[in-house]
Amino acid sequence: MKNEEPKIGVYICHCGMNIAGVVNVEEVAQYIGKLPNVVVAKHYVYMCSQPGQALIREDIKQLGLNRVIVASCSPRMHEPTFRKVLGEAGINPFLFEMANIREQVAWAHMREPEKATEKAKALIRMAVARARLLEPISKIEVKVVPRALVIGAGVAGITATIDLAKKGFEVYLVEKKPYVGGHLALLNKLYWGKDASEVYTSLVKKLSHPNIKVLVNSDITKISGHIGNFEVKITQKPRCVTENCNLCGKCEEVCPISVPNEINLGLDQRKAVYLPLPNCYPPKYIIDKENCNSCGECLKVCRKKAINLDEKTREIDIIVGTIVVTSGFEPYKPKGEFGYGKYKDVITQLMLERLLSQNGPTKGELIKPSDGKKPRSISFIMCVGSRQELKEEQGEKPLNAYCSRFCCSSALKNALLIKERYPETQVYIIYRDIRTFGRRHEELYRKCRESWITFIRYKPEEPPKVTEKDGQLVVKVKDWLFKVNMEISTDLVVLVEGMIPREDTADLQAKINVTRSPDGFFQEAHPKMNPLDTFTDGLFIGGTAQGPKDVIDTVYQASGAAAKAAILLSRGRVLIDQVTATVNEEICTGCGKCTKVCPYTAIELDEIKEVAKVYDVKCKGCGSCSSTCPVGAVQVRHFKDAQILTMVENLLPFKED
Amino acid sequence: MSSIEEEQEEQEKQEKQQSVLVLGGGVCGIQVALDLADMGFKVYLVEKKPSIGGHMAQLDKTFPTLDCSACILTPKMVDVARHPNIELLTYSEVLAVSRASKSFEVTILKKSRYVNEDKCTGCGICAQYCPIEVPNEFDQGIGIRKAIYVPFPQAIPLIYTIDKENCIKCGLCERMCEAEAIDHNQQPMKITVTVGSIVVAVGFQLFDAKNKQEYGYGRYDNVITGLDFERLVNAAGPTGGHLARLSDAKIPKKIAFIQCVGSRDEKSGNLNCSRVCCMYAIKQAILAKEHIPDADIHVFYMDIRAYGKGFEEFYTRAKEEFNVKFVRGAVSEIVEIPETKNLIVRVEDTETGELLEKEFDMVVLSVGLTPPSDSEAIENILGISKGEDGFFSSPDPQIFTVDTNIGGIFIAGTAEGPKDIPDSVAQASAAAMKASVALVQLTQEEKHVEK
Ligand SMILES: Cc1cc2nc3c(=O)[nH]c(=O)nc-3n(C[C@H](O)[C@H](O)[C@H](O)COP(=O)(O)OP(=O)(O)OC[C@H]3O[C@@H](n4cnc5c(N)ncnc54)[C@H](O)[C@@H]3O)c2cc1C
Ligand SMILES: Cc1cc2nc3c(=O)[nH]c(=O)nc-3n(C[C@H](O)[C@H](O)[C@H](O)COP(=O)(O)OP(=O)(O)OC[C@H]3O[C@@H](n4cnc5c(N)ncnc54)[C@H](O)[C@@H]3O)c2cc1C
Repeated sequence: MKNEEPKIGVYICHCGMNIAGVVNVEEVAQYIGKLPNVVVAKHYVYMCSQPGQALIREDIKQLGLNRVIVASCSPRMHEPTFRKVLGEAGINPFLFEMANIREQVAWAHMREPEKATEKAKALIRMAVARARLLEPISKIEVKVVPRALVIGAGVAGITATIDLAKKGFEVYLVEKKPYVGGHLALLNKLYWGKDASEVYTSLVKKLSHPNIKVLVNSDITKISGHIGNFEVKITQKPRCVTENCNLCGKCEEVCPISVPNEINLGLDQRKAVYLPLPNCYPPKYIIDKENCNSCGECLKVCRKKAINLDEKTREIDIIVGTIVVTSGFEPYKPKGEFGYGKYKDVITQLMLERLLSQNGPTKGELIKPSDGKKPRSISFIMCVGSRQELKEEQGEKPLNAYCSRFCCSSALKNALLIKERYPETQVYIIYRDIRTFGRRHEELYRKCRESWITFIRYKPEEPPKVTEKDGQLVVKVKDWLFKVNMEISTDLVVLVEGMIPREDTADLQAKINVTRSPDGFFQEAHPKMNPLDTFTDGLFIGGTAQGPKDVIDTVYQASGAAAKAAILLSRGRVLIDQVTATVNEEICTGCGKCTKVCPYTAIELDEIKEVAKVYDVKCKGCGSCSSTCPVGAVQVRHFKDAQILTMVENLLPFKED
Repeated sequence: MSSIEEEQEEQEKQEKQQSVLVLGGGVCGIQVALDLADMGFKVYLVEKKPSIGGHMAQLDKTFPTLDCSACILTPKMVDVARHPNIELLTYSEVLAVSRASKSFEVTILKKSRYVNEDKCTGCGICAQYCPIEVPNEFDQGIGIRKAIYVPFPQAIPLIYTIDKENCIKCGLCERMCEAEAIDHNQQPMKITVTVGSIVVAVGFQLFDAKNKQEYGYGRYDNVITGLDFERLVNAAGPTGGHLARLSDAKIPKKIAFIQCVGSRDEKSGNLNCSRVCCMYAIKQAILAKEHIPDADIHVFYMDIRAYGKGFEEFYTRAKEEFNVKFVRGAVSEIVEIPETKNLIVRVEDTETGELLEKEFDMVVLSVGLTPPSDSEAIENILGISKGEDGFFSSPDPQIFTVDTNIGGIFIAGTAEGPKDIPDSVAQASAAAMKASVALVQLTQEEKHVEK
């Protein structure tokens, strides 16, 4: 192939009027047609349409083209389309080059058609120069280990796990906490009175499946490898309570240590040996080693001999073909705004969920944390930690500009529930916009209005203030719609907190190598067309790990992410384009600089030969090594120095070679 | 070969024999079909229009990233066309479905295009010569097409269709067609396929703005819908992307967007939120500003529901960077000034309590999403239930939205309720997952029986 004279076909796309409305495509085609090695240069209304593709296929056959250039849009969407066309016509898909004359020419210089036409010529001329030097790229076949890892056992992780198991694949579900369920386990009701714990129970039941291995109290320590073959190291902390536990609860009675109960957000205390939630899965007690003083009282009363205080941390190594990341969110923690932390009766909505829940600290009795009395009046303040507006002086910490998506409907659900349970309670909703966009959620809003819940709209510039007057909480707020200043005496203030990325996101990110969006959540490969893929092959995301959302949207996203993993596992193998780094061993000095900059640990030093060595399947062709190499020994296939430099040389007009 | 591999291959083969029907070729149906085909199942994708693509093919740019809609959709359409596991049945409808033991027997009607699908090359000579011009539905009736047509140039499949209602049988197309593809006597065809699972992704229908009489859509030239607007700003649209008034082709300098037209409105019979209109109006306001930088733009709304990833930031940009004015208030009436064809919008600004009367050059109605046009027929044919809102509904809509009351049949996308593209695409994959599990379970059961 190398010795074959390049025969280049160039196709200039009108993209309807998008390109042709600015660039003189006929002129460009004529000019390009005269360049050396260009056998044919045509223009056509939509190159990506079926006849456009057929045009290329025909010319390859008729004219014996061995290089193809399409001058159209950004390669991001249609490069794969045209590569496939080349493949179908029997030439290597990498003997293809794209020149972007839409985003970089027609759209950018809409009002300067002549200059735009010249720029289009230049970009295509550069592409022609590069095309002459293109080389075929082969594919590497990678076997896919038929097993999946799901990270995080919230409702998203559980859903994805069950789906994959039912489809016939082995799944490891790894959860940091001692129980599965994530935030779903803490909720009281979902919308319309649907019991969250019933949903929880029916879901976790399905985890008893021969294909599923649940590892709670576990953390991912390291992930290496690549799509189809990830080596995963997991550490499981000791539970100190064995399978024999029959939940009799005697241990808990005798345990002398009490600590704030994190599951109830500090609203009550628990012992050092405890059952996280009455219906939790796995249904076993656990000893909290950080607080346990090893007094041994529990050992004495446990008839089942289920306690083992010497249990050690377990290291588990597994190999999986794909990973689904469902690591969830963290509720925003108010930083003192609206009297949080100062007044005991200013709580977050998650605390309210616990207070309303049958398995919560009060067995579902709604009380004021300060004195245990029933609140007669409750105010919800919305958008706490969401839709924060950036002000000059608040530069130090990035604020959450985004809307948290679930909170309006969720707060209305709770307001309505309180009205139903305690009809005499006054309920105020202090909001900015009511965003009940979900299916049937508008009905929730209407029902709230019908139930005499008071809605007060505030302007972000004039947020409500929470103060205390003679031991009574008072919310001061200006109603933006009725233009009145209100002072609401209230017994309980509920801050409706938004969702934020988990504090340990960076830690997980370092292990899985998935990029993050500006909001801090994990980033999808394409916000519309590939919402479940990531930029790392073989890794998929679902649920609130990707961004705030409610259970409904979380669940279908998780099933969708499972589908993506299932595709990979069903196929059993993947083909990876060998657009990877190569080392010229004769020049390489073995300095090792490249091994330090590689973000994928794909390049290592060969100890014996004392030269760098590339692991093709791990290499993503990013070029970090190539640009770092002091002697030019590392080159990335398809982006070799010569292939790039010739473009630069041809940028200048009228240069003929 | 190891036993695991053999087993896998065996499994793959068995799954290959399993087929699935996907109903509706919008972005959602496309995604369902691709995912299932990629898992190795045989997919019949049935679309009633001449091309797949659905509403997304009609959009100009998409919120909140402003990617060009066709540019991100067409690669997936092309993938459908070339996927060896997908059999694409366009211009087709499902007539009947019967349950045959564990699977479904589906009768599909392939309507006549009067053009031979195997012969047509999509060259378009026929349409050049066809003397009949009719309003083009794809351009919301703003532009024109011929009686022999493809809805849009990137249509998949790119096969022409004769619209018999308007064709005068002059025979020009037949004479001009080099491929001899025209067949005026072509008969509709019935096809029967057996599938193990069905996914319904028949999308939505736009609220008919004419029903909101006080806004004058259909009576006033310069009152248009959001979807009309998409075609008007699109470079491939009827005006070549020039945003102009329909009455006199003048460039509008004052544009109003009116929210919740046919949503959250008892009078229109739809109490629900349509979930995409706030964002598409914000997008269109920004696009209008990009086309006409000195335009004065107002959005009249009740609540701005910018809930998704990057949405609130997009809303903020519209306010701060593009100076779009957001006014909270429900519009009571629009009146046309006959001489200028300008429009007076009557609205109570609920923030100031003022009754406003403002004059605009153009008014865009952000119409809501209503249940798919064929929901009744599909309900009858498949026996799947709808919710009170008329969209298809799962028996457990709080958790598992893609299930239906019938095992093996799943729903996704806007057929399951209004949603945007990312949510439709994610839900599509979820439906593909569930359908694949249903198919695998079928295989397992069969194996069991055999043993
Ligand atoms: C106050 C409140 C009220 C709500 N009300 C409603 C409602 O009424 N209706 C509704 O639909 N939704 C509601 N929601 C939203 C709902 O809780 C979420 O949509 C849902 O729980 C998200 O599930 P998830 O699996 O994505 O995340 P999570 O529930 O956060 O689960 C993630 C799991 O992953 C684990 N994990 C994280 N990192 C790792 C790691 N590195 N290794 C191992 N494990 C890890 C976590 O421990 C956790 O168990 C509410 C949320 C809140 C805060
Ligand atoms: C004006 C406007 C602007 C929008 N802008 C955006 C945006 O910027 N970003 C965004 O994310 N979303 C946007 N949306 C929403 C977006 O259009 C939808 O999310 C998306 O099109 C839904 O895809 P779908 O496949 O579910 O439905 P559809 O696109 O409606 O596709 C359904 C398909 O099924 C076919 N069909 C119907 N009945 C049958 C039958 N009986 N048999 C066979 N086939 C059938 C139809 O012909 C159609 O092809 C916008 C919507 C509108 C109205």
